[in-house]
Amino acid sequence: MPIIETRQLRKVFRSVKRVPGALGALRTLFSASYEERVAVAGVTMALEAGELVGYIGPNGAGKSTTIKMLTGILVPTSGDVRVAGIVPWERRKENARNIGVVFGQRSQLYWDLPLIESFELLRAIYNVPRDVYRRNLAEFVELLEMDDFLRTPVRQLSLGQRMRGDFAAALLHGPQIVYLDEPTIGLDVVAKEAIRQFIARINDERGTTIILTTHDLADVERLCRRIVLIDEGVIIYDGDIDRIKSEYGRYRTLVVHLAEPVADPVLDGAELAGTEGNAARFRFDRNRQRADALVRQASERYRVEDVSIEEPDLESIIRRIYVEGYARDKETAQ
Amino acid sequence: MNLEPYVEFARKAFAREATYRMEVLTEIGSLVLRVYILRSLWTALYAQNVAPIDLPLHGMITYATVAMLMSLVLEVDGTRMIRERIREGSIATDLMKPISLPLYFFSDGIGQTLLHAVLVIPSLLCALLLVHVDVPPPATFAAFALAFLIGYCVNFFLNFLMNCIAFWTLETFAIQLIVRWTSDLLSGQIIPLTFFPGVLGRIVFALPFAAIYSTPLLIYVGIIPPSQWVASFAVQLMWLALFAGLSAIAWRSAQRKVVIQGG
Repeated sequence: MPIIETRQLRKVFRSVKRVPGALGALRTLFSASYEERVAVAGVTMALEAGELVGYIGPNGAGKSTTIKMLTGILVPTSGDVRVAGIVPWERRKENARNIGVVFGQRSQLYWDLPLIESFELLRAIYNVPRDVYRRNLAEFVELLEMDDFLRTPVRQLSLGQRMRGDFAAALLHGPQIVYLDEPTIGLDVVAKEAIRQFIARINDERGTTIILTTHDLADVERLCRRIVLIDEGVIIYDGDIDRIKSEYGRYRTLVVHLAEPVADPVLDGAELAGTEGNAARFRFDRNRQRADALVRQASERYRVEDVSIEEPDLESIIRRIYVEGYARDKETAQ
Repeated sequence: MNLEPYVEFARKAFAREATYRMEVLTEIGSLVLRVYILRSLWTALYAQNVAPIDLPLHGMITYATVAMLMSLVLEVDGTRMIRERIREGSIATDLMKPISLPLYFFSDGIGQTLLHAVLVIPSLLCALLLVHVDVPPPATFAAFALAFLIGYCVNFFLNFLMNCIAFWTLETFAIQLIVRWTSDLLSGQIIPLTFFPGVLGRIVFALPFAAIYSTPLLIYVGIIPPSQWVASFAVQLMWLALFAGLSAIAWRSAQRKVVIQGG
């Protein structure tokens, strides 16, 4: 049985439509008209216990709204949601005991107090037995190397130290499920790697189910086997990273730098993907077209200064899916 | 219910307030200064024979000094955390914890209040160097303490209501300033309400602000005689019930707004 399950989950925000100007403001005061914004438009997904899933999408795609519904602080407009057998918004406090949350952009530590006091407060909040608390704390202090700053007030910590503190804070009560929202944002490469190792270890050793929301696809490539892609409130891909790579990754890009601008350069067997200055980008299927043939063709037709070939990485694949997914929606709308 | 987290919240709030040592010292210093100014002011005014006879000069100075000490505790805006957490957006992370938020804010407020209550003692000692404060009989003092406690609660819920407005407007500065000024003037903190003439006097006594400073202070200086104590408590309790009820309603709809509309 899945530990997290949503069916046709929808969230529509209703807000007062603002009319510009002072008179407009006065008018909205008396006769408000509302506008609706669909943040999540029917999300269905299931996570098994112990999975580590990358939940990705562009800004405003509906990621945070979904997470907020999973944590029980937002009531869905329609659809079902169950987390560890509980409907989160109906039993917010009970659900809160099963989950841990880390926000890269917002700390849940107590600003004025030494780090250790935040942990002690969390022990009281979650009613963690003292021996369990001591064991978990010792483990996290060692893994995250927090010894040096355990007694430092949180406001004096560096971002990297604070993030480590936040991870320990989210996991002290041993939650089954953890939501991570941009946990590596703003960190340097060393700190990023330390956090990634910690996430992998928690998932591996404790079997904690983790949903990772991030814009840093290196996090996802390093940690997740499965990704869920959301755009404009709709899931557009749900499956293995390997599959998405082999499906979309057969396309390579040939970049041709021309000596002079050409209006619409054409190469047989490749598709013009765009031009930037004198450089033209051609996309081609590696199974059908050889790169050297394209290069020869290009130099016969145009005055070529330089060529290079780009291999697809997860980032470019995702970018293409966002753009094409968007284009597809536009077509159906027309 | 497990009360441990809430006791911890109060303790942490107490510790947090105590970390700002300079602020604490300044607070005592400014209080002593104000006591001195008020003594000079009332002495000068009484020399002009402007005051009614039922409150002699030493009574008036006692009134002003005790009011100052009360303000140490009453001016703590214990629930300002509500509007701060709303503005920062961290109310969302608070909701992800297995705690009752109103209780969380209350216990934090109590922690802050306790620290300031501790400050009353050094402040009183400093003030006694400058002024003489009348000490009432024990029964009167007990009645004063009870009235003060109820007044504290009325004030607490008034602040709570003000801070809840942040759920809708995010910013509450202007409205709080207005209420604060009104309350300073009409609660009897600066001028005893018995000094207000005629109809004006009847109006200010009918307002809820009187329950905060005026009732305990008038009991202390003896203008409210023992025969009227019970009636005074009853009026205070009525305001308390009203504000507590309004707070519960405001909280319920505020929570619905957060949960339906997002933080």
